[in-house]
Order: sequence, then C-alpha cells, then structure tokens
Amino acid sequence: MPTPTFLDKLNAKASPNARLRWAGDHPFGRDRVMRYELGNGLTVLLLVDRSAPVVSYATWYRVGSRHEKPGKTGLAHFFEHLMFNETEHLKAGEFDRKLEESGAESNAATWLDWTYYYEALPADRVGLAIKLEADRMSHLVLREPQVESEREVVSNERRMRVDDDPDGIANELLYKLAYTKHSYHWPTIGWMEDIKAYTPADCEAFYRAFYAPNNATVVIVGDIKPQSVLAKLQKAYGEIPSSVVPPEDIAPEPPQLEPRSVEVVKPTTNEKVFIGYMGPSLGDHDHTPLNVLAEIMSGGRASRLYTKLVTEKEIATEPRCWAATFRDPGIFEITAAARDGHTARELEQVIVSEIDKLSTELVTDEELERAKARLELSQVQSLETASGKAEQIGFYETVLGEPSAAFIRLEATRKVKKEDIRRVARRYLVERARNTVYLLPEAP
Amino acid sequence: MPESQTLSSGTSLIVESAHTVPLVSMVIALRTGPAHDPTDRLGLARIALRMLRRGTSKLTSRAIDERIDLLGAELAVDTSSTSIAMHAQVISRNFGAFIELLTELLSDPKTDTDELERLKRETLAEITESLDSDRGLAQRAFSRGFFGDHPYGRPGNGTLATVGHITQDDVKRYYTTHLVHGNVVIGLSGDVTSAQAIDAANALSNALRTGKPLVDSVGPPLMPDGRTIWFADKPDRTQSQLVVGTLGTSAKDPDHHALIVANAIFGGTFTSRLMREVRSKRGWSYGASSRLSLERARHAFAMSTAPGTADTGPCLALMIKLLEAWVENGVTPRETSFIQRYLVRSHAFDEDTAAKRLHLSVDTELLGLPADYYRNYKSSISAVTPEAASQAVKKRLSASNLVIAISGTASDTLDAVTKAVPDLAGAHVLPFAELG
Repeated sequence: MPTPTFLDKLNAKASPNARLRWAGDHPFGRDRVMRYELGNGLTVLLLVDRSAPVVSYATWYRVGSRHEKPGKTGLAHFFEHLMFNETEHLKAGEFDRKLEESGAESNAATWLDWTYYYEALPADRVGLAIKLEADRMSHLVLREPQVESEREVVSNERRMRVDDDPDGIANELLYKLAYTKHSYHWPTIGWMEDIKAYTPADCEAFYRAFYAPNNATVVIVGDIKPQSVLAKLQKAYGEIPSSVVPPEDIAPEPPQLEPRSVEVVKPTTNEKVFIGYMGPSLGDHDHTPLNVLAEIMSGGRASRLYTKLVTEKEIATEPRCWAATFRDPGIFEITAAARDGHTARELEQVIVSEIDKLSTELVTDEELERAKARLELSQVQSLETASGKAEQIGFYETVLGEPSAAFIRLEATRKVKKEDIRRVARRYLVERARNTVYLLPEAP
Repeated sequence: MPESQTLSSGTSLIVESAHTVPLVSMVIALRTGPAHDPTDRLGLARIALRMLRRGTSKLTSRAIDERIDLLGAELAVDTSSTSIAMHAQVISRNFGAFIELLTELLSDPKTDTDELERLKRETLAEITESLDSDRGLAQRAFSRGFFGDHPYGRPGNGTLATVGHITQDDVKRYYTTHLVHGNVVIGLSGDVTSAQAIDAANALSNALRTGKPLVDSVGPPLMPDGRTIWFADKPDRTQSQLVVGTLGTSAKDPDHHALIVANAIFGGTFTSRLMREVRSKRGWSYGASSRLSLERARHAFAMSTAPGTADTGPCLALMIKLLEAWVENGVTPRETSFIQRYLVRSHAFDEDTAAKRLHLSVDTELLGLPADYYRNYKSSISAVTPEAASQAVKKRLSASNLVIAISGTASDTLDAVTKAVPDLAGAHVLPFAELG
C-alpha cells in the first residue's frame, strides 16, 4: 500500500479531477485488492501478483445492452467495436498495432449489464495500456466510414452467432419470451434491423453519455509497482472530466403469471429444448443456493439431469443449467439436445419432473458436497492467471460493487444447506415462471 | 521451468511445482492418437480412453464420476492427430486421493460391454449434434479434401460409419498395445512438490502395462493437386465459412521459424494483412486469420473467414489474391521487425502459468520437437530475416495447389465461388450430413 506521503506528493500539484484518494482495500484470497479513486470519479483496483512477468489491464464500463432503447438495440456492443478505431491522437489501426508491437493481446466483451476492455501485456508495458485506454475514453473519433465498416463486421458477427447458429437463435428467443418489459428482452448484439440503422450521431451520443471516468473501473493485476502505476494513471486519466451519466430508465419485469412457450424451425440435426425460469439477481441471497442447484442438476456426469437424460434414458446429449449472473433478476436456464428419434418435449417432461422433485424432496448430503467441490474447483481455476483474477475483480465490482465477491460467494456456497436448495426450487422453479423454446429441425 | 526424466518403467515424466493456487494439473498422454486408429474403427483411441472412467472391477461408472466430483477434480480426454491425452485438474488437498483413483482406473479397467455400447451411442449422438456447427463443417470439408485417406484426416471422435464397429476386444487390445509404459508421457504441475509428483507418477506408471513406445510411421500428407472446392451444403445459411489451405510446415524444416514469422504477418494478429483487408477495410467477416498447424510430420497451412452469403465470392477471390501476392512477393522488413517484437514479447503468455509451461514441455515430447524448441523460441524468431521469411513462404506454400472448403448454401453461393477461383480443377458438393 502506498504511503500517505506518496499520495500527498502525487496530489501536490494535481487538479481536483486528478487528485488520487485511497479508498480502502479488500481481501482477495491470500492477497488484497487496493482501491483508489481519482477526483473525476474513476475507480482503480490494483492487485499485485508477481507469479509471472505479465499484467492484465481491464477497463469496465457500467453500460450494457440494458441501457439501450428499442430501435437502438445492440448499440453498446456496436460501440465496443468502434472503440478499436481512430482517436484524435491515433490513426485507425494504430491502437492494435501499438499493443501488438508490445506483445499484448487485447479484446473486449459486452453483455447485458456491462462492457469491458482488456489488455494482457508483458509487465514492463503497463504504461502503454494506461495511455491507450485513457486516450480512447475521451478522444474517440466517430465518423461515417468507421460506423459503416463496423456495421458490416457486426452484421457478420450476428449471422455467425445467431442467424446461422440454431442455439443462438433459440437463446435469443428465450430472452425475448421471458422478458416482456425489462431491457433484457433484446439480445446484446441487437436486432439486425437496428444494426443496419445506427448513425454516427447515435454513437456520439452514446459515447458522451456512458464513456466517462465516473462510469468506469480500471482493474490492474500482475507484476506491478503500485506507486509507479498510480502516477501514470493520474497523469493519463486526471484531466478527463466526469460526465453526467443518464439515470437508468429500466422497467422492472412484472411477475410472470403463466408459462410461455414458442416453437422455432431451423436446419438443425436434432430437436432441442431451451427452458428459462425467472430467477433472482446475482446480488440476491437466493442466487448462491440456486447456483449450487444448477450444479446438482447438470454439473458433471453424476448430476441429476445427466444421469437421467444421458445415462439412463439415453435421449439427450449433455444437458446444461445456469443461474444467470445479472444485476437484475435473471433466468435459470436449462438446455438439452434430443438424440435421434427423440423430441424436445420428451426432454422437457423429464427435466420438469426432476425440477419438481427438488421442490418435494431434499437432495442428498453427497450431492450437495459434490456440487460444492465442483464450484470450489471452478473458483480456483479462475484464479490461475492474472487475466482470470482481473476478470473476477472487475465483474463483481461492476455488477455487485464488491471486488472480492467471488470469495464471499464461495464462503456462502460452503454454507448452503439441503433445505436452501428446496427453498429456492420452490420459489423460482415453478410452472408459472417457465419459458420454453422448442427448436425443431426442418422437415426433410 | 519443468523438469523432465524417464521413470525406471520407461514412462516419461515432466514436473513443475508452483504453489500460486491450490490446484494440481495433470496430463497422461499417449504418443499415439487418432492417426493410428484402424480405418474401420475410427474413434477407437478416444473411446478407449473414455472407457477408463466407465468402471473397474471395484467401482461402477457412476461411483467413479461421483468420486471425481467429490474430490473437486475434472478429467477429460483431448485428441490431436498423433497423440491423445487425459487432462485433469484437482484441488491440491485431494491430490493423493485423486492419484489413487486414477491409478485404479488405469490398472483395472472393466471394459464392460454395456458401458461400451452406451458410450458408443453417446459418441454417435455427439457427432450428429456437432453437425450444427458450420465452422466445424468447413473444417471437416477441408480435412476431407486436404488429407483424403491420409491418417491426419482421421477425426478423433470417429465417424457415424465407424464408431459402431468398435468392440470390447478392440478396446482391450488398445490398452495392451498403446497404454504401455514406453508409450506414455505423464506431466504434473502446480501445487505439488517434486517428491510428491514423482511418487504419483510412479504409481500411475506402475498401473500401466509393460511395453515400448510404438513406432509412428505416418509420413507427411501430399501437396494438393491444383485448386479444388469442397462444399458442405446446408440450407438457409446467411453466411459461409471458408477454410482455404495448402501444405504447411514441419518443425524440422530449417525455415520453420521463418514461416512462423511470415504467417503471423499474413494472418496471425488483429492487424495482419488478412484481417486488415477482409475485416477492417471491407467489413466482410468478423474474423480473418491464417494458421500453421504443427504435427510430427508436415501439416497444413490454412486461412479462415466467415463472409455473408453475398460477399462469399468476392471474399474468396480476395483471399486467394492476398495469398498469391504473399507467396510471390513475400514480406517487408518493416512487417518482419514488427511481428518479431509481437511474437517474442507475447510469448510470455504461452508460459505464464505452470500448467501452460507443462503443456509446452509435453508437446515437445509428443510432437518430437527439438528439445530446445520452446527454450530457444524467442531467439529463433528474432533471428529470422525478412529475406528468409519471404523465401520460406515461396518455398513451402503453394497458391496454385489449394483445398478450398466452404460450408454454406450451395444454391446461393456455389456459382459465385466457382467463378471466384481462377484455374479451378474441380468442385465437390457434399450434403452436410455426410460429414458426420
């Protein structure tokens, strides 16, 4: 932790926007995440990890597809693409060239609640990431040619991930079905007709509204010297003004009172079923037991659905459950693909029957312990690299405001009881809250 | 860095201790793979290794699965052409118990007929489901066109036509011929001491059968003859997946690193020639890249894109033109020095965890790479001159002899792609379901 004297020195000639403030630290396994704030509102989270001479640099913006409006869906993701283009100081392509020349890998991701950009660099190159990310936070150039070229790229991305991918289509339909009012209704990549219609003015407005230091968190993990990094951060970001981030205007999803379903026919080899029960938000006390429940249902070959659908009845390939990790109430997803000669409705029947058992019978002690052990393994695996740690810290800080939440959740997982599993099954996995998409092959 | 040794049984062992996270990673790899499967039993190697967790004389398949989960472990089978491996990870406090379990799986597989038949049906269902992936279809079409009957074209999963023929005797024979001391490489890394690792490896090795490494007599595939299209036809596609390639590199080539440098310039990064021309300038594809595959013998060079249906013909024509210009004119000094900095500096991410360093060492063993291949990687890359890179492209790659694999809708794009390829020798259209 830098000494107060060090911060005093840094702040001696700093403008109000550039003043750095120590804002505490957070236990992170055997280490500690240090939190700082710049006067302009930028949050900085540092974790020193000297296990390899590398650094992971991640910038998380608190903007995702939830902030879009009908007619402009996909804009957050589209904007993520534009961020790799020209700035007032760098020609198109220079951002990537400078990083590649330094041996860095960079990429970005957008989802419902957030957008993040990351660079993985050799440790001695961290200054470059600071400079480049600060530059594109406030000096991006948004003109017609960049928007046009990227529109085609994103259209092709949509074709690849959705239009030509049966699973992509079904997943998109599931969210459209489950959310009627909330902005989780539309896909992060956006509807194709909206992608075709963005203007540079749309992009400019989006940039000015959401890309500002007070709407971002910078996470740096790796072989760093905190004092040197903080000085560089202050210099690069200190003069960027904060913005007035538009207040959220998101309609809550009304309670679902009856089950919904839809059929879609596509050139797929086998029938598939996609089920979504309206569940809790990531920050809800019930999310942890529901996450354990997902593991009991489909984690590994000994899980309930795998045993029933794959081993005993031999009517499906690998089933999958997932308790969505969203800021607002997410859905509990269940998917499975039918084998030749079997139908999506057969799978649904078995799945629903297994779900019903969770509400009436307690799971066994051993099932619970297996699920907990698998979740612990998954947590440890996510901490193998600096990038893995940075992702955990940034994700939980952005969605829950708690960079150490991965460890807090692991502790909570250890305390989950059989009765908790039954309770969340009874509360969320009920018929009236079920949404089902049946994916059917075209007639031969 | 990992330490290598040969156990008294003849099994190779590679170990690296690193106590950064409470996790141990393991590899139990065979020096033979799907390329050595009998042609009427494709998929045998993978089925045989997966059968190891389907029951012993003491434990049922279910009991094994439960045990693996309870220990906080994962166990999976991965294939390349000439090797196959069981990869595992376990929370380090359960390392000893997991090794005991693995030892039992290796020493006492039951090879139960019912379990084998169930696994075969599972595998067939997985193959059928994989036909939903258009990218996978293009890769299979490329493999069919490029390798033909060459062993490197044998799919690890097997095919819908061959998996059913695999018998209990085949699996038992596989264990006695392939799962033997000399044919196995064991790797351990992570939160484990050298002494613990050696004890564990000895236990695992003692569970294997006696035997020497098998001789790999598979030679390199042939250069394609002319330019041919292999089209995986699927209805209602809005875009096409393109894989275009020819014969590539061998690690034993004196110009191997020169070709790596040249390929990275052509299609190895986000600012490479392919990406710039196909995506950045024209927006025709989300991704555009080229790759040199590495195997024991010379393998393929291939470039990939995914354009929309209307852009498929022009995109393919552009890819071929870029390839021709690259082969003809090579690379520039500026491009070379740029990519050398990228390759040398980014190598840090190939070895930033003990598990990654272990895998590099295991690969060195399995692929028969020079012992110093990865140790000298950065200096070998740095030593490449622009002239050497250009000559390597001209000498090793051919723009005239190409396999052009496409998955898309033939009625929408076949005409355009055939017109986009100068000197086309032929076009094969395969209903996509035939690629299972």
